[in-house]
Amino acid sequence: MIILEKQTEKKNLYQRISQDEFSVNKIKTSSMLSLNQFMEAEKRIKSKNLKVGIFLNSDQSLDCLKDKLELFSIIQINFKSFKDGRPFTMAKELRKLHLYNGEVRASGHILPDQFVFLLRCGFDNVEIDGKEKKEWIELYNMDEGLYYQP
Amino acid sequence: MYKYSEKDKKIIAGRVKQFRNQVQRRLNGKISEEEFKPLRLMNGLYLQLHAYMLRVAIPYGELSSRQLRKLAEIADKYDRGYGHFTTRQNIQFNWPKLPDVPDILEELSKVEMHAIQTSGNCIRNISADHLAGLTNDEVEDPRPWCEIIRKWSTFHPEFSFLPRKFKIAITGCENDRAAILVHDIGLKLIKKGSRIGFQVFVGGGQGRTPYIAKKINDFLLKKDLLNYLEAILTTYNQLGRRDNIYKARIKILVNQLGVEKFKELVDESFKKLSDKKLELNETTIQKIFKFFELPNIKHCNEKISISSNQKFNNWIKQNTIPHKILGNSIVLISLKSENRPPGDANSMQMYKLANIADKFSFGEIRVTHEQNLVLPHVKNSEIYEVWNELDKLELATPNIDLITDTICCPGMDYCALATARSIPISQQISNFFKDYGDQKKMGNIKIKISGCINACGHHHVGNIGILGLDRNGKEFYQITLGGSSKQDASIGQIVGPSFSSENLIIAIKKILQTYQKNKSSDKDDFMTVFRRIGIEEFKKNLYDNTGKTN
Ligand code: SF4
Repeated sequence: MIILEKQTEKKNLYQRISQDEFSVNKIKTSSMLSLNQFMEAEKRIKSKNLKVGIFLNSDQSLDCLKDKLELFSIIQINFKSFKDGRPFTMAKELRKLHLYNGEVRASGHILPDQFVFLLRCGFDNVEIDGKEKKEWIELYNMDEGLYYQP
Repeated sequence: MYKYSEKDKKIIAGRVKQFRNQVQRRLNGKISEEEFKPLRLMNGLYLQLHAYMLRVAIPYGELSSRQLRKLAEIADKYDRGYGHFTTRQNIQFNWPKLPDVPDILEELSKVEMHAIQTSGNCIRNISADHLAGLTNDEVEDPRPWCEIIRKWSTFHPEFSFLPRKFKIAITGCENDRAAILVHDIGLKLIKKGSRIGFQVFVGGGQGRTPYIAKKINDFLLKKDLLNYLEAILTTYNQLGRRDNIYKARIKILVNQLGVEKFKELVDESFKKLSDKKLELNETTIQKIFKFFELPNIKHCNEKISISSNQKFNNWIKQNTIPHKILGNSIVLISLKSENRPPGDANSMQMYKLANIADKFSFGEIRVTHEQNLVLPHVKNSEIYEVWNELDKLELATPNIDLITDTICCPGMDYCALATARSIPISQQISNFFKDYGDQKKMGNIKIKISGCINACGHHHVGNIGILGLDRNGKEFYQITLGGSSKQDASIGQIVGPSFSSENLIIAIKKILQTYQKNKSSDKDDFMTVFRRIGIEEFKKNLYDNTGKTN
């Protein structure tokens, strides 16, 4: 998998931790935690002044995290299906309502045709299969930046 | 009429290019049908029973003669020589081939047309009163508002993957000809003191579980329109169900939460997320309104003269309405002749109608949500000529709002989801009641027919609704009575066990007998009588001797 930000491939600085390997003490700034893992580790993250990544699925709500966003350097929202449009609203609310200015990443079942929509709603980048990179960039370049919405 | 700006043109051209790329990827097998589906749907392309179907948007029902000619040309070149006008003021082509579709879209873009968001789980074509801007009973013309919403909703980055499709309709007057109460959002322009704003209704809809929309805002300021719509869509996109497509429309959400709670969430989102940049200022609004000014229509005292031709007189009585500019008329063209499926027009009719519009109606044509067409501005002095031309094209059936002016979905003849045919039923009705005098005696009455529970033929809101069912491989038809999509909207009630197609006409005849018998004056139309006597009276007469459902 690669990280694509507009046309540029970026290094992935975060690792997800499987449940078997998970232990609160091993958490570092480069950890990408699931919601459950985060809840277990919340105390330590706060006491150690860490900033971590959080990984949410498109059917998980941001509501329980909205007062803790400063603990995250990245929020990754994973589409269960490209048809599930909730993350578009989640990203908008992160940016416009909660004024979150960390990184927001989309992953999971997403299509290159959704790239510009994702970016416009507040996502910074996408995690995709390296084989699809060309297609994603092609569709990104097809966009002429003409929109009806602000 | 609205004219594309340079920006509009570029956006539409960009979309054609993008769709060409998507079709190419599909044809090369780079994307699966499952992945292609939402992309093609966003461009109005369905997979039907026998072939693809392309649904082209006619925003708020307005067509120029040039556009109509292009539709005729497409029907000839890429289809089988006809098109089908739908209940949402669109046109459908039933036989395009996938590799041709990008070319069709490119040709459409040359006359400022497209198929964007005519299907898929996004905000669909905005529909409006087909008499917008033409009558005196209007608070304000709804079309500029449709255009403002059309722009905002086109390729909306956040609302292109909603739980389900989303339909908005607008009326500019109390007399609702746009069926706003059976839309996901219905907007009604109203006057409060000297100010004009919107009443906002949400959660209306048909399908398996029909609902009448509920009011959530009594007076929305014009400047706030887009921010408020955005708040409704934000709430729906987050909370609408995605686990069951039959429960995914906003009507289900509104009903599960209760309208009060839903309103509270919308108000909260509106308060917190309103974006200054989405606020509409007077200059922007006025700029759009300019496009919709009336053409240069002459005011005069000329009345329509009575002719010795009874056919013409009937047509005048039934199919014309006075225009707000004295000396002119609005002509309604029925697409419900005896021999054609409701809403169908062939390419020859389209070409000739475009010529008639050029000669007599400032090149303008409109499409109604009742699947008819309109010539909006015809001089009374030229109306006989117009009738004559229309009559030659079999477009002068005098039946607007009468029993043979049925609304009907494509049903089993085209649609993969159908459980029964619907077009032959409407043709049976047209044949049976073809005499104008007989129809006139029955007064205004709306029959609406759907070929399955999805209710594209709006049977729930037909005064008489007919729903086609499949019972052990045989077609049966359930009748509902008392539905209406007007300002007094109501959902029809099921009359009882369903009827075979042979018995259906007998049943309708009996229903009409009950109506006739219970009229207290000539002015009583079907709905007045139904509301007075209730469904039981109809049932009694219906099942006594038709024999139950055989
Ligand atoms: S009501 Fe059913 S049969 Fe008719 S068009 Fe809709 S889905 Fe098809």
